[in-house]
Amino acid sequence: MSIVETKELTKVYGSGDTALTALNHVSIHIQAGEFVAIMGPSGCGKSTLLHLVGGLDRATSGGVMIEGHNLSDLNDTRLAELRRRKIGFVFQFFNLIPVLNALENAALPLLLDGVPLKAAQKKAAEWLDRVGLSDRHTHRPSQLSGGQQQRVAIARALVSEPAIILADEPTGNLDTHAADEIVGLLRQVSSQWGRAVVMVTHDPRIAAYADRIIFLKDGVMVNETRLEAGALPAQ
Amino acid sequence: MSVRHAILGLLAQKPRHGYELRSAFEALIGGEQNWEVKPAQIYTTLSRLEESGLVAEAAIEQDGGPEKHIFDITPAGREELGDWFEGAVEEVHQRDEFYLKLMLSINDEFADPYAVIHVQRSSLFRDLHGLTTQRQALNGMENLAQILLLDKAVMHLEADLRWLDMVEGRLDEIRSHPPPEPETRPRGRPKKS
Repeated sequence: MSIVETKELTKVYGSGDTALTALNHVSIHIQAGEFVAIMGPSGCGKSTLLHLVGGLDRATSGGVMIEGHNLSDLNDTRLAELRRRKIGFVFQFFNLIPVLNALENAALPLLLDGVPLKAAQKKAAEWLDRVGLSDRHTHRPSQLSGGQQQRVAIARALVSEPAIILADEPTGNLDTHAADEIVGLLRQVSSQWGRAVVMVTHDPRIAAYADRIIFLKDGVMVNETRLEAGALPAQ
Repeated sequence: MSVRHAILGLLAQKPRHGYELRSAFEALIGGEQNWEVKPAQIYTTLSRLEESGLVAEAAIEQDGGPEKHIFDITPAGREELGDWFEGAVEEVHQRDEFYLKLMLSINDEFADPYAVIHVQRSSLFRDLHGLTTQRQALNGMENLAQILLLDKAVMHLEADLRWLDMVEGRLDEIRSHPPPEPETRPRGRPKKS
């Protein structure tokens, strides 16, 4: 079963003469443990697709299924819960909370989900260690490099053990070297830790790390290229 | 030719026999998957260099197996190598098979230039995927030389992919122009009026 599936997914902003179709009948399947890049020129609908898959926005028509749950069947409370437990987000500008240190930032999703502080921090510490920040637990975002801040954000995305990681231009604010490290880490998130990773990027070099690239243009999926011929990693 | 100069450069480091030269070349280029040189090519090049007086046999080694002819660079070879270091390497930028294919597909009713672009883009992305995988496996401290070579290939692929996007964006515009044709000149004598 696909872990993410979109069926004829369509998003129209506005109405009447000013209506803008951002996404036009897009159907995709993503398997567990797969690393997929979404590419296309700006305005092609790639961020819209990511937001709809992440339940951050509602579709105009068509649907998103996450592990068999149709997002349009969920009310706002249930949708927020599914987002917290099944999906981890990584953003271009890291979106860390400046007054919290790395450990506190990474533990935050668990605390919001009602996990006791000790248990949440233990889990956060484990994930910070796994993403290579074992000696940076007590550093605040301002004391970390861009690449390190994005590592904290990836630990935060993984801390609730979601099945899916959605990354919106995760290397867009990093230099070449840090960008390679971060996309390499995302590849590890899928190949070693079995999460489905869906990444939006406009950078061909970064997209080439993925198993598959989906090309969008004017809201329509125009092409698809498989880069990794081998079977998907075992769960 | 580059293999010829590589052999001169490797012999300038120390005298070697043919088999050693091939292994040294392979180590330098980061493995035969990057640039395969057959043993025959090494031996043919060596004997041509010897005929031109740029290398000379320095010794014959025998350790049970067949004889190994060890070669050394001559002063004339050293001079030739110096010229190579001082000059620029000529690169071919405009001899492009894909360009030919695309242009001919535009005016062929049985071909789809958009599909031609898509197939090429997929292939370039697969190459890029292979290179980034290879690069990630290398250690920045130990394999710096190979990383530099991989980075060059990566940068070229990035440029090729950008260029494809540009061509795709302007394909309809290119299609609306007549294809390039040779200038027609009347043959033979002009007709008498």
